[in-house]
Amino acid sequence: MREKTALSEISLTDEDFEKFREYFYRKTGIMFDESKRYFVDRRLVERIKLTGHNNFKNYFIFLRFESTGKELQNLINALTVNETYFFREEYQFKCLVKRVLPEITSHKKRGDIIKIWSIPSSTGEEPYSIAIYLLEFWDDIDKWDIEIISSDIDTNVLEAAKKGLYSERSVNNLPTEILKKYFNRTGIGYYRISDDLISSVEFTRVNIIDRNETKRYRNFDIVFCRNLLIYFDDASRKVAAENLYDAMNPGGFIFLGHSESMSRISPIFKIRKFPEAIIYQKPLEEGR
Amino acid sequence: MPIRKREEEKIIEIKEERRKKERNFENLKEQLLSSSASERRWAARDLAQYKEASQILLERIKNEEDVSVIENILSSLSSIRDEVAVKGLIELLRSENAYLRNAVIETLKSMPEEVESYIEELIKSPESDLRIFAINIMESLRHPKVLKWLKEIIENDENVNVCSTALDLVAEVGTEDFLPSIEKIKEKFSDEPYVQFVADLAIRRINEGKNSP
Amino acid sequence: MKKVLVVDDAATVRMYHRKILNDAGFQVDEALNGLEALEKAFKDEYDLYIVDINMPKLDGYSFVDKLRNMESIKQSPVIVVSTESEEKDKEKAYEVGANFYIVKPVKPDELVKYAKIFTGVPL
Repeated sequence: MREKTALSEISLTDEDFEKFREYFYRKTGIMFDESKRYFVDRRLVERIKLTGHNNFKNYFIFLRFESTGKELQNLINALTVNETYFFREEYQFKCLVKRVLPEITSHKKRGDIIKIWSIPSSTGEEPYSIAIYLLEFWDDIDKWDIEIISSDIDTNVLEAAKKGLYSERSVNNLPTEILKKYFNRTGIGYYRISDDLISSVEFTRVNIIDRNETKRYRNFDIVFCRNLLIYFDDASRKVAAENLYDAMNPGGFIFLGHSESMSRISPIFKIRKFPEAIIYQKPLEEGR
Repeated sequence: MPIRKREEEKIIEIKEERRKKERNFENLKEQLLSSSASERRWAARDLAQYKEASQILLERIKNEEDVSVIENILSSLSSIRDEVAVKGLIELLRSENAYLRNAVIETLKSMPEEVESYIEELIKSPESDLRIFAINIMESLRHPKVLKWLKEIIENDENVNVCSTALDLVAEVGTEDFLPSIEKIKEKFSDEPYVQFVADLAIRRINEGKNSP
Repeated sequence: MKKVLVVDDAATVRMYHRKILNDAGFQVDEALNGLEALEKAFKDEYDLYIVDINMPKLDGYSFVDKLRNMESIKQSPVIVVSTESEEKDKEKAYEVGANFYIVKPVKPDELVKYAKIFTGVPL
């Protein structure tokens, strides 16, 4: 461990904070208000020290102009909590069932498949949430064939996702009936998801910013890509958006995390407003 | 269960019929002119594997109207990033198409080493628009000379909008040694409220930082 | 209170416009490019848009063009504020549906005057 120095030796002025939050907003879409000041200051001071700087100003120049761009990534990690749990941002699933799926199916004919891509899969909470939500809340589920594919770059989380074992915390948001219906309690505080669900999702490894690896992924009607693009630099984020676009059918929809916006990433998608959420769409009239 | 899973090979179907047409350089070149935007986009994407593709991508982008194709061409040029690509992108800064111009600025932001010599040329250009675009590129350019260039601009440039654009950035990244030049520019444009506003902001930010422990 | 959306990629310009307009009694919201502006205009209603031309992702002309083609967005006046000073730039802005064009650098009195004129606030 590094030598412990009191964090209070370095501090941020109001002007520093203002400059920083403007820059961070521009890069990530996350806006810290005054109530987050303490949290942001603490994390920043930690990063300032860890990178061997002695004040905010030097660090800020390093952050912006250092050639690899790694420090911005480190900082984003330090300032965001990437938690994943069942039914996270449930309003998006509601929007999926109430608005998006009816629109998608209106362009399909009987026997067509609806393809959903959930990326990053992480340990499986998101793709399984989608499956459960569709089974529970989509009236037309029996009329269509659905495929859910979920991908991640990390093979460890993919293995965990296939095992389907979850902590209490992770299932906390699920209504009791649903928990009972799709999970088995195993040991202390752990829940195992049903085999049916495990076998309803296909897990694959992919690097979303790799233009070659993503070529195989095609014809998705719906993509969930939440809280992932935020961790990339501007150029990679743009390539990821283009790869997702190519993976989608014309008229397909893409959901981003609630603090993310395509407006800072790429202009290729259309903005669609629904009562529950703003969603992005690949234009329907796009050339074949 | 209505949600079904197919074997991996089947799930990840590649629409082979279209891709089967061999995706070699000559065919891709042809497809870059196809009447289907989707075909042009895929051609632009796949052409990134060919070093010699920069020129034809640059030719295409001048007449391309579909945003998704333009964005893919820019990503491919950024991935090839040879001399032809960078030079061609710099020339596109003169485009009459504001969207394209700004998309090009963004692409150039991610090529610090490649653009260095061009930035040094652009900030001396007789056209104020090009000098402004050079500063726009600097905004996210991970290059150690950005501060030096900014200082040169605010010390020497006579155009109020060029200086204002530079000051916008100085207000974020300026250091103590900028203070004399900022004071000078305040005098030079003493009747321009915007310059006063942003110069005062920069001074305040620099000074406030100075006094903190 | 009339609500204005200031669209500019430079944070300092947005701060400047915000201050001037707030002092003149307007409520101000900000967007950092044309796309974000469209997104905000979807969610909220604005009485006036003050828009820069050169911005990443979506430039000012394209923003106005898209805005004017979206029925679900409130069709309020647009004042373009840009460093581009040639006649052809102004013409292009009017062609896509802008209502007024101011060349930077902006004088506070001028901005307030036209913001009031286009929102129907007495001068």
